[in-house]
Amino acid sequence: MKKSILIILFLILNLQAVYTQKVKMTSITFAIPSDKNTIVMQRNCQWCHSYGYILNQGKQSKEFWNRVVIKMRDIYKAPISPRDEKLATEYLFKYFGNTKEK
Amino acid sequence: MQRRDFFKLSLVASSTLLTASSTEVKTRKPIDTQEVSNVAFIEKRPLITYSDRPPLLETPRDAFTTAITPNNELFVRWHMPHIPTHIDMNTYYIHVHGEVNDRLYLRVENLKKDFEQVEVTVVMQCGGNSRSAFVPTTSGIQWGSGAMGCSKYKGVRLKDVLQRAGLTNESVWISLNGDDKPVMSKMPHFKRELKISEISDDTIIAYEQNGEELPFLNGYPVRLIIPGFYADSWVKMLSDIYVTKEYQEYFYMDHAYRVPDNVTASETPDKLAKTTKPLELMNVKSYIGYPTSKTKLTHKSNLTIKGVAFDEGYGIKEVLISLDKGKSWVKSSLGEELSTYAFRTFSYKLKLMNRGRLTIMAKAINNKGQEQPYAHEIAWNHGGYRYNGIDTVSIDID
Repeated sequence: MKKSILIILFLILNLQAVYTQKVKMTSITFAIPSDKNTIVMQRNCQWCHSYGYILNQGKQSKEFWNRVVIKMRDIYKAPISPRDEKLATEYLFKYFGNTKEK
Repeated sequence: MQRRDFFKLSLVASSTLLTASSTEVKTRKPIDTQEVSNVAFIEKRPLITYSDRPPLLETPRDAFTTAITPNNELFVRWHMPHIPTHIDMNTYYIHVHGEVNDRLYLRVENLKKDFEQVEVTVVMQCGGNSRSAFVPTTSGIQWGSGAMGCSKYKGVRLKDVLQRAGLTNESVWISLNGDDKPVMSKMPHFKRELKISEISDDTIIAYEQNGEELPFLNGYPVRLIIPGFYADSWVKMLSDIYVTKEYQEYFYMDHAYRVPDNVTASETPDKLAKTTKPLELMNVKSYIGYPTSKTKLTHKSNLTIKGVAFDEGYGIKEVLISLDKGKSWVKSSLGEELSTYAFRTFSYKLKLMNRGRLTIMAKAINNKGQEQPYAHEIAWNHGGYRYNGIDTVSIDID
């Protein structure tokens, strides 16, 4: 009896303390196709967001993806080099493109 | 870079994102085919999951049959990648400062003990809810229609907190910020701004949701609740209230979350509206929770259609149902009105006499006489905001 009260007490205290403990954020892998330019995505996109953001946009034109990359660089300050801007756009269009330039 | 250049740049980048001069501009039914994830986040059941960092979780259609959305089903939307996962309630406080007589450091305990406690039952809806309806694709997460929910919140009036700090003639605006943070030092924080004279008595700083502490992912320990407004201003993990005389320019006020400021609230990708305004009040909307496209039904069985409806706070007058693709409409039965800002449930009973495909439509009308338009009647806008089309669900009856 005493033991079960202790266990219940322990559980209650633990529940109340849930946020003063470190909350465990769930981590999910949003897989994107792997090729020689995947590393460009790794070093530029994942600072701020998961690949889920990319997967959610649907198939889009090359211009669409280029504007997204430029927006990430200019508005959200991702440190994307001119070379990586080109490579990221090509990668995104290759796997998430709708075959249209515009 | 000058601030002016920054905003100019923002505008160019966002407007050119909307390309496709050759593409047809239209509005259609939002996506409705997403599956819930097999992974559950803290305090949530498995939901439709668009991202884990920052977390973006959508409530599936079948949850929208009740006036109150359970805490573990309520949608989640954060903007910043860094969300503190260790909060010590002894040191967490809301800092109220700027043009006030007394700077305040309010702990949650102070909110509970030192102010009048207020409860409101309100719909929380992301401004981009149903964004996947807009073609061409607009900037932002392509939500289905589950970035919304209704909860009973408990907290204290924002006005009371401001009064406690002591307002002066110089106190005109407040900037609100939460504890979530960007990675890059130059990246804009998720700050929102309200004019003090426009803050309603129902606007509260909430610490409780449906009788429980705020779920971590919904903004624990405190968040702002603004009944009738889209949720972009409902700052989560609220920690900073800065009172100013002059309007402050912030990315998430002056660039993001803005809608065309013209009579039809419309624009096209080729011709964006010259003037825009912040996204604020919600429009009238209904959504069918049962049946869903996956519901299996046989002919000669009984069906009770269920769903929810809401608006900016006038309250729902009626929800009409059509079973003949909009040729004729019949009134549904409305559930209890928990508040004019809450989900109002509706239901409609019928006997399924025929086999084959049945399309159910729902259209809400509020107490001001405003009614939901058809999807195709809704004007496209660059942010993909304020979709409120008549909902449709099609089922196959065996």
